[in-house]
Amino acid sequence: MDKEKYAKLEEGITPKPPLLKNCIKAFLVGGTICLIAQFIALFYMTFFDFTERTASNPTVATMIFISMLLTGFGAYKKVGQIGGAGGAVPITGFGNAVVSAAIEHRSEGFVLGVGGNIFKLAGSVIVFGVFSAFIVALIKTILVKMGVISW
Amino acid sequence: MDIRQLITMLCVLFLLSGCMPNEYKFENRTEEDAGKAEELLKKDDRVKGVAALFHDDHLLVGIRVKTFSRFNKRDIASEIEKQLKEEYPDLAVFVSADSKILNETNKLILKKDEKGLKKQIHHLISLAEEET
Repeated sequence: MDKEKYAKLEEGITPKPPLLKNCIKAFLVGGTICLIAQFIALFYMTFFDFTERTASNPTVATMIFISMLLTGFGAYKKVGQIGGAGGAVPITGFGNAVVSAAIEHRSEGFVLGVGGNIFKLAGSVIVFGVFSAFIVALIKTILVKMGVISW
Repeated sequence: MDIRQLITMLCVLFLLSGCMPNEYKFENRTEEDAGKAEELLKKDDRVKGVAALFHDDHLLVGIRVKTFSRFNKRDIASEIEKQLKEEYPDLAVFVSADSKILNETNKLILKKDEKGLKKQIHHLISLAEEET
């Protein structure tokens, strides 16, 4: 059997993923997470001294805290099963990635197990974020110094 | 009516009752003429709600911009602030498109209490100017 023949056979047997259905599910689940976050932001704005601009920081922290609790109780994997990317793309997916790695390696000890593996999944996100922020800031600094744009 | 219909109806009611009325509120506690500000803000079609409070030498304005103008709401606010500063050169004008400022200005208007008002206005301005 050559390569092309195998590819054709494989294509026929593999079930087609319901793309549209998955997209709609991801949209609904991600939207629900963002709706909850919006209510939390509103809560911080109504009862504390936060403006629309500054309320985002405590809101993100609260959402990460909630997703960490849900991961620990085993509820977040159900959200991920239904929502797919809708559960992974918001900041809650980041919290889930950190905590699930920590839980997985708990049996190997706190330093080499939890400490060494906690950022196994989410570490690349942090490194990529910091690095791209550095590059963007560098470009902007050069442009400001040259007088093309202002801060 | 079965329970599902009831729940859906309740959800819709809750969602709709959450819609805030878009209104223009002007409270003048100074000698200045508030009509100029009223005219200026009402003819701006990007703005759909205003709470303005004239107090002593301060003019505090919270605005709500239309949904698709929200992308440049800071520019709109600073533009209106500039126009209002030209109209009222004697007042310290502060305009913000932040919903916190709009809500708090509404609260200050409703409170009718002059005591400590200036301190609260200063507090709001410092809040709105916070960067992070």
